[in-house]
Amino acid sequence: MAGWFSENGLLLGLALLDGLSYAALVFMVAVGLNLVFGVLRIVNVAHGSLFAIGAYTAASLGLFLSARGLPPAAGYAVLLLAAVLVGGVLGPVIERGVLRRVYGQEDVLQLLVTFALFMILEDVQKLIWGVQPLFHDAPMKFLGTVDVPFGEDVIPFTAYQIFVVPGVAVATLAGLAWFLRRTLTGRVIVAVTTDKEAATAMGIDAAKVTLLTFTFGAALAALGGALASPTTSLVPGVGAQTIVLSFAVVAIAGLGQIEGAALSALMIGMGRSIAVYFEPELEVVVPYLIMVAVLLVRPQGLFGVVETRRV
Amino acid sequence: MLELDGVSVDIAGVPVLRAVHLHVPPGGRVALIGRNGAGKTTTLRALMGLLPARQGRVTIDGREATALPAHHRPRLGVGYAPEDRRLFGSFAVRDNLLLPAQVLKLPAAETARRLEAVFGLLPGLRDLAPRRAAGLSGGQGKMVALGRALMVGTRAVLLDEPFQGLAPALAQRYAEALKRLHHALPEVSILITESNPGLLRPLVEQSFVIERGEISRA
Repeated sequence: MAGWFSENGLLLGLALLDGLSYAALVFMVAVGLNLVFGVLRIVNVAHGSLFAIGAYTAASLGLFLSARGLPPAAGYAVLLLAAVLVGGVLGPVIERGVLRRVYGQEDVLQLLVTFALFMILEDVQKLIWGVQPLFHDAPMKFLGTVDVPFGEDVIPFTAYQIFVVPGVAVATLAGLAWFLRRTLTGRVIVAVTTDKEAATAMGIDAAKVTLLTFTFGAALAALGGALASPTTSLVPGVGAQTIVLSFAVVAIAGLGQIEGAALSALMIGMGRSIAVYFEPELEVVVPYLIMVAVLLVRPQGLFGVVETRRV
Repeated sequence: MLELDGVSVDIAGVPVLRAVHLHVPPGGRVALIGRNGAGKTTTLRALMGLLPARQGRVTIDGREATALPAHHRPRLGVGYAPEDRRLFGSFAVRDNLLLPAQVLKLPAAETARRLEAVFGLLPGLRDLAPRRAAGLSGGQGKMVALGRALMVGTRAVLLDEPFQGLAPALAQRYAEALKRLHHALPEVSILITESNPGLLRPLVEQSFVIERGEISRA
């Protein structure tokens, strides 16, 4: 073991740091997906497109503004701006324009509709940004690297991925938990998630809550994409990869579990990244192996509560 | 106070209510008696706007409400305690009670006054207030559901089979609570559904019978 560690310690350290940053991104997407499912009862496949469009928008905006002399430090505000723009515009358009028409319909129809939406958005994205990789890493470069001590090694790693990305995820986790439990709007969202009809009978405008929740979830996905954009070259398909991993996170955590989603995202992020460094051919399959293992033991997810079916 | 005038309701294309008439006068206590599947819950849901009326008129407090969206109806002073409680399990009992008043944006003082009034009528709730609703027993949950309905139901409350599944001692306590309610707030109309015709007789002034979606006077 000690021998293995001295040989592979550096790799393991890199894998864990990479995994942390990746987990944070997946969490941002998964938590929005979870929130949206809770209220809309629709598995939104197009949620991954919002991640991708958030990423592209952030990179484009960043490139555009830095070419006009925007100071690099303001690049972080641009990431947030991109998320608000994408969530604020696409969220209402998708919810009002498309999803509202299929509420309460058969699952298969809903799935087909959001899948169609995903395909359309994927093409819209190619139409706008083309298929050449788009790259804007100024927000990551600006903070430079930090030396992370790991065993006997020192790993230089980008500060952006160690502090900013996980920091935003932790802030999202804490902020969301506070919002849902302590504010009236948050409690109203939880009430609609728990029982839409009972919530309506209490005077809650479920249609308004649905629009709000979807827009908010869309903005979270877009923020995840925006945060990811400085760390990678954007290419078509980035949305598909994210949504699939987010499904795994939600399935592992169980529905309605925010803290659980954070832990599951860590499992998936770390598992995937350890695979990337040690058995790259397993990269794609590891998240699903984790998911299958969890669901075999606990079909409702690690933190899910079994709901009694209401007739 | 509450009136259904020739109301028909379909669920998934199947007629469930057929041109029903129902009148609950201000301060009146009315029972709606019928077997399972007769349309009791559908009647209450139609009054609350949770199901659209295919034909007929719904009137609440003298106001035409047929097309009024469901979430506006509590504003007219109508509280609803659905069958099977339907509390928000992750909330404390207190937050379950407060939610409808907060959603209606009642002034804080008025909300506090109503909460005290509910605690006065249903004394057990004060001790339950900090507990999570998911952990309540069936009987406790029914009391909380009644309290929650009363937080907005200043003119009328609709109680869907509150005695269903209650042990006799608990049913007794629930019935006493309803008597106290009528005594303390005589202006509040009560519409209550039940499958056992004898049970509600001492509690109401008037009974209707519902059978296969048709309502007749008992």
